Amino acid sequence: MTLLKIAWRNIWRSKLRSAVVILAIASGLIGGLFSSAWMNGMAIQRVKNTFELETAHIQFHNPEFIDNSDVKKTIISTNEKLEELSKMEGVKAVTSRLKTSAMAATANKNMGVTIVGVNPKTEKEVFGLYKKIDSVSGDFLVTKKKNSIIISKALAKELKVRLKSKIVLTFQDYNGEITGAAFKVTGMFKTDNSTWDKMHVFVNDKDLRRVLELPKDQSHEIDILLYDYSQASILSEQLKIKYPNILIENWSEIQPYISFLTDYMDIMMGVFMLIILGALGFGIVNTMLMVILERTKELGMLMAIGMNRKRVFMMIMFETIFLALIGALVGEVLSMFLIKYFGKTGIDLSSMAEGLESVGYSAITYPSLEPVRYVQITIMVLITGILASVYPAVKALKLNPAEALRTV
Amino acid sequence: MNVIEISNLTKTYHETEVPVHAVNGINLNFEKGEFAAIVGPSGCGKTTLMNMIGGLDKPTSGHVEVNGTNVSELASSKLIDFRLKNIGFVFQAYNLIPVLTAKENVEFIMQLQNWDKKEMNDRTANLLTNVGLGAKLNSRPNQMSGGEQQRVAVARALASKPQFVLADEPTANLDSHATSKLLDIMRKLNDDEDITFIFSTHDQRVIDKARRVITLEDGKVISDEVKS
Repeated sequence: MTLLKIAWRNIWRSKLRSAVVILAIASGLIGGLFSSAWMNGMAIQRVKNTFELETAHIQFHNPEFIDNSDVKKTIISTNEKLEELSKMEGVKAVTSRLKTSAMAATANKNMGVTIVGVNPKTEKEVFGLYKKIDSVSGDFLVTKKKNSIIISKALAKELKVRLKSKIVLTFQDYNGEITGAAFKVTGMFKTDNSTWDKMHVFVNDKDLRRVLELPKDQSHEIDILLYDYSQASILSEQLKIKYPNILIENWSEIQPYISFLTDYMDIMMGVFMLIILGALGFGIVNTMLMVILERTKELGMLMAIGMNRKRVFMMIMFETIFLALIGALVGEVLSMFLIKYFGKTGIDLSSMAEGLESVGYSAITYPSLEPVRYVQITIMVLITGILASVYPAVKALKLNPAEALRTV
Repeated sequence: MNVIEISNLTKTYHETEVPVHAVNGINLNFEKGEFAAIVGPSGCGKTTLMNMIGGLDKPTSGHVEVNGTNVSELASSKLIDFRLKNIGFVFQAYNLIPVLTAKENVEFIMQLQNWDKKEMNDRTANLLTNVGLGAKLNSRPNQMSGGEQQRVAVARALASKPQFVLADEPTANLDSHATSKLLDIMRKLNDDEDITFIFSTHDQRVIDKARRVITLEDGKVISDEVKS
C-alpha cells in the first residue's frame, strides 16, 4: 500500500513532465481509437449496405442459376419454402426474388441491367432499398398499375429519364424467346454504391413473371434476414442439410470481400494500436530513465535504509503503470466523446463522394467503436506500461547504494 | 559487549593508475551504548569506513562483524534485509522520502518490516515527540527546516530498533542552533535508551559531545580517545 502511495505521489513531483507523458499517451490513443472508429464505421456501413441491398444474411439459389443466370434454373415450391423458413428460430423475415439480365433502352441510350422482380410487401421486410427513395423521387412499387419500375438516379442520368418516363426492357423468357416490355419509372433510389445502382432495376415480381412466362411458385432467389447476422453461418449449415438440392450461402460466402473487410479492419486496428503503443512505450521508457537519473540519490537512500530490490522494482513499475493508465483513461474518455459526437453528426467527405460511392462507401461516415475495444485498449496500455517499466526498473536495481548516495 | 568488531579492514580503489588505500588495516570495536565520533580531514576514509560498517560497501580485505554476523560476507539481498533490521542511517543531506510526511517517513521503515499498525502508530508518535516534532507529524520534508528534517531522519533511523545508528556528517548542513538541538536529542536517546551512535564528522560541536573520538588519517586510525 505504501509503495502504491509513494508511486502515486512520485508521478506528481514533476507535474509538467507527467502531464506531457500523459498527454502524449492520450493523444496517441485518441489518434488510434478515432481512426479505428472511422475505419470501423466505414466497414460497418459497407456491411450494413450489403445486407440491406444485396445479400440479406442467407440466400437460396438453384445451383445452376449461379453459373449462367439461366431463367429456367429456378427454385421450385417457393411458397412452401418461404412458409417453412419464416417459422424457423432466428429468422426475422424472408422473401423471394426473380432475376434476369436485360437490356434497358430509352430513346437516348441502351444499357445492360439486372432486373429484380420483387414482392413489394415482403421485400421491404428483408431489404432496405425502399429507404433509399426520397420523398420527391416517387415510391417503392406502391401503385397497383402494371409495369412499374424503380431505377437508380445514376441510371436515370445515364438513360436520360425521369419519373413517369418509359424504359423498354428486352430479355429472354422462360421458353428461350426474346421478349420485352415497356415499364414506367415510378421511383428512383440512390445508395452509397453508384456502380451497383447503375446495374439494378426493380419491378413487381408479378409483372416480371408474366413477361418471363415463368410458372407460378418458382423463383430465382430466396433471401433470409436473421435477427443476428453472426448466426448466418450456423443456420446456413443447418439449411444445407434440410435442402440438399439447393445452393445455400450465407453473406460471407456470397460476398467474401465483406467478410474479409470486417476481419481486415480488426487486423488494421490491431496493427495501428501496436504501432502507437510501441511508440508510446519508448516514450515512457525515456521518461522513466530520466526519473531514475534524477532520483539516483533517493533510490540509493531507499536501498540503504532497507528497501529491497523487489520493492524498488515494484515502485518504478507502479509509477510507470500509473502514468500509462492515466494517459489511457484521458485518451479513452476524450476518444469516446469524439467518436460519440461524430457518430451522430457523421464525417462528411462529400468532396470525395464520387470516388467513395464508386467502390460502395458512403460519403458520410459515422465512426463507431464497440465498448469491448476500450477494454482491450486499456489492457494493451497496461501491458505496455509493465513492459516499459522493466528496463528503467532494472537500471534502478543496478545502482550501488553507496555510490548512489554520493551523487549530487 | 561488542556490537561491532572491525578486523584488519582495508578498502583499496583501483580507479586510477595509482591504487588509493581509502581504509588501510583498521581494527576497531564498538560496545553497546557508545556515542562515538570518527573524525579526520576530508579524504581520510571516514565515509568509506562508515559505508563498510553499514554494509553499503564491501571491504577489499578484513571484515566487519555486527553481533557476530560477518556483514562483509553477506549477499547483497541479505545485506539489505540486515541493514533494515540492524542499522539506522542518518545522512548528511537528510535524505527523507520527499513525497511522504514526517510520520509516513518514520513509519516507512516499520512498514517494510510488516509491523502491527497500532504498534507502528504508537512508536512513530513516540519517536517524533522525542525528537521534538510531535506537532509536525503531517508535514512533508519541504515544509520543514533542515534541522527538523534531520530530526525526522533520526526518528526514522531509530524506528526499527536498530543495533546502532550510523550518522554520516549529520550536522554538516545545519546551523548552530539546529546542530545543538539535534545533538542534545541524540545524546538524550543515547543516555536514556542506551542506543549506540557512531558519527563521521569534522564538526567540533559533535566532537565535543562525543564520548569517544576516533581520529583517522590516510585510512588509518591515528588516535582512539575515550573521554572520561
